[in-house]
Amino acid sequence: MFGDSIRKCLAGLQGTQTWRVGIAVIAKENYPLYIRSVASQSELKFHYTVHTSLDVVEEKISAVGKSLGDQRELYLGLLYPTEDYKVYGYVTNSKVKFVIVVDSSNTSLRDNEIRSMFRKLHNSFTDVMCNPFHNPGDPIQSKAFDGIVSGMMVQTG
Amino acid sequence: MAHSVRSVQEFVQDSFVPMVAVLCSEEAERVTAKNKLSFCELLRPFCRLTSEGHIRDPNNQVQVVKNLRIGVNSIETDPSTASMALRPGQLRLLDEVVLTCQPQEGAPTTSIKNGEYELNLNVNTPWFEVYRRKFLQSMPSSDHEFLNHYLACLLVVSSTEAVPVEQFLKLSQEQHRIQHSGEYTNPKWFIPNTLKYYVLLHDLSQGEEQRADAVYEDMKQRYGPQGCYLLKINSRTISAGVDEQIPDPWSQYLHKNNCQQQDLVDDPVPSADDPPADEETTNASDVVDSKTEHDVMSGNLENHPLQLDASISPGNLETLMTVNTELKKSNREVDPQTGGAGSHGAWLTLSDHDHIRQFIQEFTFRGLLPHIEKNIRQLNDQLVSRKGLSRSLLTATKKWFGGGKVPEKAVAEPKSSCGLLYPPEAPELQIRKMADLCFLVQHYELAYSCYHTAKKDFLSDQAMLYAAGALEMAAVSAFLQAGAPRPYPAHYMDTAIQIYRDLCKNMVLAERCALLSAEILKSQGKYSEAATLLIKMTSEDSDLRSALLLEQAAYCFINMRNPMVRKFAFHMILAGHRFSKAGQRRHALRCYCQAMQVYKDRGWSLAEDHINFTIGRQSFTLCQPENAVTAFRQILINDSRQIAAQQGAFLREYLYVYKSLKNANEVSLPQLPLPCIQSSATRVYFGPERRLAEGEKQAATHVSLDQEYDQDVSAIWCHLEEQLVAAANRGIVPANFRPTQCCLNKHTDNLRHPLAVVEEPIIVEVTFSNPLKVSLALSKLSLLWRFGEEEASSEGLTEVTNKSEETATHEENPAQEIKEEIATTEIIQEFSLAPEETKVARLRLLPHRTGHLNIVGVVYNLAGGSTEETSEGVHTSDIIVRGRQDFNIQGPRLNVTKEDKMLVRHGPDRRLDLLITPPMPLMEVFFLQFPTALLCGEIRKAYVEFSNVSAVALSGLRVASTHPEFFTFGSEATTPMTPLSPTAAENNSSYQTVATPPQQGCVTSDVLLSAEDSAHPSAVMDIPIKGGILKPGESTQLPLWLRGLDTDGVHEINFLFYYESSEKSCRISHRVLRHTVFICASRSLSVQASACRSSIPRHDSEEDEDSRGTLVFVDLENINTSEGGVREFNIVQVSSSSPQWRLHKYINPKNDIDCKLGSRERAKLCFRATQCKPQQASLDSIQKYTFADLSLGNERIVSSSTPCRDFFFRCCRTSASQQDAAASSKLSSKDKCVVSGNRASDIIDIAKKCNELDLNIIVIWKEAQEMVLLKFKSEPPPPVIQPPAELSHLIKTNLHHPETFTHHFAQHSLCLVPVSLTLSNCSMAHVDAIIDLRHYSSSETQEVHSSFAWVGQSQYKLQLKPQEVMCLSLQACFLQAGVYNLSTPRVFAKPTEHGAMSETSQQTAGPALIIINSS
Repeated sequence: MFGDSIRKCLAGLQGTQTWRVGIAVIAKENYPLYIRSVASQSELKFHYTVHTSLDVVEEKISAVGKSLGDQRELYLGLLYPTEDYKVYGYVTNSKVKFVIVVDSSNTSLRDNEIRSMFRKLHNSFTDVMCNPFHNPGDPIQSKAFDGIVSGMMVQTG
Repeated sequence: MAHSVRSVQEFVQDSFVPMVAVLCSEEAERVTAKNKLSFCELLRPFCRLTSEGHIRDPNNQVQVVKNLRIGVNSIETDPSTASMALRPGQLRLLDEVVLTCQPQEGAPTTSIKNGEYELNLNVNTPWFEVYRRKFLQSMPSSDHEFLNHYLACLLVVSSTEAVPVEQFLKLSQEQHRIQHSGEYTNPKWFIPNTLKYYVLLHDLSQGEEQRADAVYEDMKQRYGPQGCYLLKINSRTISAGVDEQIPDPWSQYLHKNNCQQQDLVDDPVPSADDPPADEETTNASDVVDSKTEHDVMSGNLENHPLQLDASISPGNLETLMTVNTELKKSNREVDPQTGGAGSHGAWLTLSDHDHIRQFIQEFTFRGLLPHIEKNIRQLNDQLVSRKGLSRSLLTATKKWFGGGKVPEKAVAEPKSSCGLLYPPEAPELQIRKMADLCFLVQHYELAYSCYHTAKKDFLSDQAMLYAAGALEMAAVSAFLQAGAPRPYPAHYMDTAIQIYRDLCKNMVLAERCALLSAEILKSQGKYSEAATLLIKMTSEDSDLRSALLLEQAAYCFINMRNPMVRKFAFHMILAGHRFSKAGQRRHALRCYCQAMQVYKDRGWSLAEDHINFTIGRQSFTLCQPENAVTAFRQILINDSRQIAAQQGAFLREYLYVYKSLKNANEVSLPQLPLPCIQSSATRVYFGPERRLAEGEKQAATHVSLDQEYDQDVSAIWCHLEEQLVAAANRGIVPANFRPTQCCLNKHTDNLRHPLAVVEEPIIVEVTFSNPLKVSLALSKLSLLWRFGEEEASSEGLTEVTNKSEETATHEENPAQEIKEEIATTEIIQEFSLAPEETKVARLRLLPHRTGHLNIVGVVYNLAGGSTEETSEGVHTSDIIVRGRQDFNIQGPRLNVTKEDKMLVRHGPDRRLDLLITPPMPLMEVFFLQFPTALLCGEIRKAYVEFSNVSAVALSGLRVASTHPEFFTFGSEATTPMTPLSPTAAENNSSYQTVATPPQQGCVTSDVLLSAEDSAHPSAVMDIPIKGGILKPGESTQLPLWLRGLDTDGVHEINFLFYYESSEKSCRISHRVLRHTVFICASRSLSVQASACRSSIPRHDSEEDEDSRGTLVFVDLENINTSEGGVREFNIVQVSSSSPQWRLHKYINPKNDIDCKLGSRERAKLCFRATQCKPQQASLDSIQKYTFADLSLGNERIVSSSTPCRDFFFRCCRTSASQQDAAASSKLSSKDKCVVSGNRASDIIDIAKKCNELDLNIIVIWKEAQEMVLLKFKSEPPPPVIQPPAELSHLIKTNLHHPETFTHHFAQHSLCLVPVSLTLSNCSMAHVDAIIDLRHYSSSETQEVHSSFAWVGQSQYKLQLKPQEVMCLSLQACFLQAGVYNLSTPRVFAKPTEHGAMSETSQQTAGPALIIINSS
């Protein structure tokens, strides 16, 4: 709903190279566990976008919680579309959020693909959490997880 | 939050007010100018009507007009065509207004708590409100709407005028000219026949009142009483009114007017964005130009809002600074002109105020409202008449020509991008005109329907601009309708905005629309929609507007029912960016600070860094270097994820800002954030650094900072020291004993003040770590300390610090010398840290006075790394700041009391809080010829040198070791009794040798020695130095014998040397010196000894009848596994040492005396041992050992002399039951050629108890081959066969019986055979024995046993005296012929003293077979 305006704000300024795809994992307490985007120049922008999208995620969670009780789908769908990119959200039962941001020009990605990407991400995330040496709440530094994410980025980007 | 004081309705209403033009004569202006006001300004505070007015609508319904405000403006003829944008002057005015309106310190803030966020927000945004008001006021009048067109004109003439009526005529003509000549487009007029209202201004203080009244009467005649007014002001005389306090209603209106006149308001903040006045006035261009101007001023801050600019060098900041100061100057110059603004209306009394108010009221109710009413009616009539015809006509033509076609008549009219343009007096506009009139007099219902109709018409005409205007106003009037019969049509507004913005490219109108709509939406709680609207309005053409709107949008997000904190923060950042672009630095800073609340400490480090960086820069340019430093510091401390170049930029900026801050106040050294000091890892070392070696000498290792702390090792040292202290204090460890700690770290106990000795260096190891990806260069690094005289722990005494040393300008500081007197501080000139490196710096301090020295921190110069390749490299290296960092060492967490456990409390850590004590002795220990590898048992001689390097004598020299059996200093007590053999002297052997004749197998020289005179009670040994005192500067050398340890492998051997000051009154009771060596021991000889009773009849031993001859067998095996070659060992001598036994004779049958053992060879030596005088052993309470030497070569080594004897006793002490042991000694290398590899080596072997034989055997051997360097290989140790020295050997049994026995079984069925059982006690103790003859069913001998039986007593209990032999007569009974094993009696024995009857079965003897023949 407001990406439009952000684009406007940023338009015409230098360095507005957009990322093609970005993936972020946010902890229950809303701090980043893992953030990665393809174009490193606009990493800051990506961070801001992901951070801002958390508002929408929370809105969606709370909205669902009221109407359907515990029956909540993990996949939140498109959080908000903009002219530049689309932000998709996914929340695990433990309130860990996954956010995928893809370029708007990337029309090949359908809802189903995004959904499966999230599922893959969730599985990999579960694996990370199952690692007895991983301290929950620490940033994810798993190579396997990194690999999965890289794979997705290659696939989509 | 734009929190309007008035309701939103009022705000909207006030946005559109009837406009009244003012035309003043010069005289009239002069009258008002007395009050420093123009006529308009004079009226402005009273333009709101307090009473209700009434108006009749076309249907003759009375409409109440409440709270009406009118706008008064003097006519400004502007030749320029009406532009769609604001004029530059207006833009600047807006800029000005926002700039001067800053939140006050301590302005009310609300704290919003949303989940994990707790934010402090401004309640009001006065800058926005002021901007909005100003913006709406300065709207350019447009052709498509009439709201701000002048409805009436006030013609003002002073009564002092010669002929006021003429003047009125002149003004009236002037007004007419302006409106109708067509020369001027700008002051727009609502209706052709504008209401003219004649005002006669009378100055009471000047003119005659009668004359004014007369003129007024005349006016009434001319213009009618409704159309003119006499306003009397200036009734006050200056002299009288000084004491009277009159409220100044103009102040709030005038403030802005002053700005208009380009007087710079005295801004407390030196702002870089006030454009110089001359530049501005000449600048007749529009928005774009002024924007570029801003760009110039705002320096490099304009770039991507979400990007950190790495390329910014501090140079930019520098230029900014200079601009700032220049502007500050220019501001100062302007200041005096703008003083005295408070004296407005000095000539006006309160009654004058009332006069003015009355005048406005009169004008409005009598003049303006009827005028409006009349016009509405007129328009309505026109419309009604037109409706039937033109409406239907229009629609009919549309139908015929097809929809969307432009109507015929419109073709000739000018067209623009936004569709059709009507001429000003076009009939299509009449309805709009009427709507506007209705709107202005608050008849919103009628207005709405008119707007609605107009909208339809315009849309069908494709007159988009007009349509948008109608839409906008329709929405507004719908909102304003009392009782709200219809919902607010937000989509009207959206369409209007879209048309304004996209089609007409008129941002000003769009903005107005958005402002109104947002306010309305907010009032209805539709924050999300309002935010969207506001955000949509941000665009490139105006940074200020974008910034303000974004900020408002942000506030909308936070005010939502579910506050969207993050969106708020994000938009705050965007707003901040736009503010900074617009040159509104303070607002920008405020926005960023607000956003920071959301991002702070939540792991979004990239964003946090960005904000911090911006805050830092903004603070700096706003001359708040403290805040800037804090912000930059935050970035650097933060575990940053930035790339190296970015961090480098951060660092440079930080250093620059820091430096400028420091220049401002040079009083105290500020704390630097970089590099990080790991305080707890700080180590402190007392004493000089040890030399490792001095020529051939090898220094004691002692303690050094290079060693890691090890809990176990320190426990070992502590134990050794305890032993030493006990030995020094007659066996008692003093209660206040504490182990000496030379090196303090986080593991040591730092509760007490450590003691340091004066004139001995203190080394502090500080761990620096560089968290950045760029290198840091530190220079002039030194310790910072504070010193107090003795007992100076409390305050109030002269404390000297070396802090002031910091200032770059080294003045003749008398304190400097004092500092040098107290302590010398070493300065490390250069210390660089590579990216992300952790490095330690060792800083030294040499105290010169006793007292209390507290090491506070470090002081250093910090500069960025010099490895930058950028062109600014030179530039960066200039920035060097000096600062300090204090140590903050936390003690261990307390966990004793309940409070401790509940809170997190830390104890003190005093490792840097030193007490400097008077001089103490200091000893150094060196070792000479100290080996690193030895064979097991090899004996070698080394030298040890003690030297006192201090100015104080030392005494009480002792040493303790973890392996006391490893070394001995020897004793001078044992002097050789016999002359030394020549070879020994020649070989420089460490042994005393005596030449012996080659008399084989003979044992010579028995020496009796008591164990006590050489054995020590513990691991502590006194070091036999002459006089026991080492004077200052003296050194002494002592021989030291070493013996390879008995187990192979690498051994760590610790020595702890102890000494104390010869003066007793010292705070430090003693000092210690540590030394650790590693010795690699490799296998040499394995020695096993066994003994058995000689089978030779007793009469053979002629020498003495008492001693029973015992055979001692010694098995020797070469188990050396050296890879470098085969080693041969030469057995030179076998000696014995025992309190009771001695070797007597060598009885090897083969008689090869020179016993050589090659690799893996075994040899067996056989000796006869005899007992010494038993009374000697038993009578003396002190055990005396008899040493007997049996030389196998031609010289006897006196085993009872120093090395041999010492090691023997040490071995005895350390391990109670001795096994094999060996020692060898190597000759000095120069003798090798002479003795042809025949090195004197020896093995000491100690025998074990075998059959109660307490005899220690010493085997002395020498190595026959070249010594090769031993390579240590870990192999399983050789199996040690240990003869069981158990109780099973207490008693020997023997069965005596005939071998064959013939019996006639036919005659006598039972055959009885006498058997005698001999029991002999081998031990020296009384032994109880039980002989049990009963058979026990044991597996294979079952049948045999069942065939015979013992007859008679089946069990005997006996007591055997020491060495007693007893004979028992038994009888065996056989039933048939055969072969029988008689050894079935089982013998149990135990020493009598042993209380418990744990009898042990004695070893079963071999089978005793008897053959029974049947005859």
